[in-house]
Amino acid sequence: MSAALITGATTPVGVAIAKQLLSDRVFAHIIAVGAEPFSEVSALFPSASVTYLQADLTHSRELRNLLFEPAVTHRVTTVIHTALHRSAQRSGQHVHQLNVESTRELLRICEQHPTIRRFLLRSHSEIYRVRAVEPEILDERHPIDLSPDRPQWMRDRAEADLITCAAMAVSPLQIVVLRCAECLVPDTGSQLFDYLCSQVCLQPLGFDPMLNVLSLPDLARAFSLAAAADQQGVFNIVGKDTLPLSTLIADWGRLRIPIPSTLLGPLYWLRSKTTGTDFRYDLNRFRFHFSSIMDGTLAAQRLHYTPQVPAF
Amino acid sequence: MSSSPALLRFLSHALLDDKQRQHCSNLTYTDAGHGFDVFGLSPDWVQGMFALFQPLYQHYFRVESHGIEHIPKTGAAILAANHSGMLPIDGTMIYCDVLHNTHPARIPRPVTDHFVPSLPLISTLYARCGTVGGSRGNVQALLSRGELLLIFPEGVPGISKPFRERYQLRPFRVGVIEMAVRHRVPIIPVAVIGAEEQFPLRTQVPLKLFGAPFLPISPIPVPLPVRYHIHYGAPIPVYEGTSEADADNPQITKAGAARVQQAVQALIEEGLRTRKGIFQ
Repeated sequence: MSAALITGATTPVGVAIAKQLLSDRVFAHIIAVGAEPFSEVSALFPSASVTYLQADLTHSRELRNLLFEPAVTHRVTTVIHTALHRSAQRSGQHVHQLNVESTRELLRICEQHPTIRRFLLRSHSEIYRVRAVEPEILDERHPIDLSPDRPQWMRDRAEADLITCAAMAVSPLQIVVLRCAECLVPDTGSQLFDYLCSQVCLQPLGFDPMLNVLSLPDLARAFSLAAAADQQGVFNIVGKDTLPLSTLIADWGRLRIPIPSTLLGPLYWLRSKTTGTDFRYDLNRFRFHFSSIMDGTLAAQRLHYTPQVPAF
Repeated sequence: MSSSPALLRFLSHALLDDKQRQHCSNLTYTDAGHGFDVFGLSPDWVQGMFALFQPLYQHYFRVESHGIEHIPKTGAAILAANHSGMLPIDGTMIYCDVLHNTHPARIPRPVTDHFVPSLPLISTLYARCGTVGGSRGNVQALLSRGELLLIFPEGVPGISKPFRERYQLRPFRVGVIEMAVRHRVPIIPVAVIGAEEQFPLRTQVPLKLFGAPFLPISPIPVPLPVRYHIHYGAPIPVYEGTSEADADNPQITKAGAARVQQAVQALIEEGLRTRKGIFQ
């Protein structure tokens, strides 16, 4: 059996994917790549089937060393790229370098690699354009939000997704982009999780959009199925829970206070500045007003993925 | 706006009799997991709002229904109705009428203009009752799920026409035909008689709040208690003799729109001829 290389492997998403791939016997060996030293993350990968390597993906030379030395030795056939900057409060060139340029470079190097044949990207449902005039059910052809006024967090994710999608037409690699619904797990960059960490959740008055959330086991299973399937394309990965924002807040055990939309931005800006939390209202403004549920039909048909585990 | 089950239950018990509650207790919908469908429809809300509008439906507008048997018991179909009356009371009365008179009760899914999802409170209330924004994607999703859609092909020009032009249809948009041809579903023409006279004096202020095209103003604070007559015509299989690809053919969609408009106009004329008076 072959091996896979997972970037962003020290996040809960990376760890879950690595474990799922091994338990499903999709790969015999996993090269887990993270930014942290091994001493800090050794407990995450107790299996002998996982080799952990520390690498800074923003450095092209480190990427090359990673892919042309251990990846060749272990005969890596598949790269699963999940590494993205998680904080929505951080921006700038370094963040862009990790989110976008490393994806571009990784794709380019994989194309020249002697053993790598497949490239899987973890993308995000948040990149879809959500407006009053747009459909509430978003299939894979739904417009991506490329508005210039959107925060870098979103623009970078959209750009990384589109770079990978564009490569499908010209690359010798078999490329799969999984646009995953939001996973309510800490340390995954989930804006909703950070929003729900507060005891009091402010909601736009008069709006209660529908949301879909994904569990970590379902996300990992989707990657396992995509890695095993002989398919190329873009797939929406939906979760088992589709519910209004108000119900999500209530089920999470939080107090919900609807207030006029215009006050939400300043209040959440103050919250992040005073408590250091990550949630940005400007990032979530549209989906806090208008429903946006991904259509998972294509993934069900071609990857045989259907959500099974509730997200909370 | 949470699901507020206690308030909805109270409304149902206070305003519906046992038979009506029983009728509405087995509404079929596709539960996405938490008691809502993917568009936000909640059967509790449907029942609660039906209870709330029941006095209007039965006692204020005294709605008379004709030809409800034309609505199929199952499967996708489109109700195409004339639009009038300044406020969408006509849509509410059709909604109540279909819920009231279909066995088992079917929830019609009204399709609204693009600005409606931007309206605070109303957007959520509408969504809970099954209304969706008028995008192609939403309509496709509903038809592929076998839902019964309620569309006003005249759009805003229909509801905003002056009183002197009552019962004169504005040109039907072709989108409804495109969807019917693509999804192979019949269109049921619907004529609403009475709504045109509910606000005889009305004007529009060109104030675009939340994307709405105008602000309706009337010196009469409440609609007149006109009697509504809702006429359903025989289903029109606009897809017959066409292929799915013909949904993109402008000639076919224009011809289909004209055919449906003619059918609605004929129902209107029949309804106007047979009614005994505005309030009867």
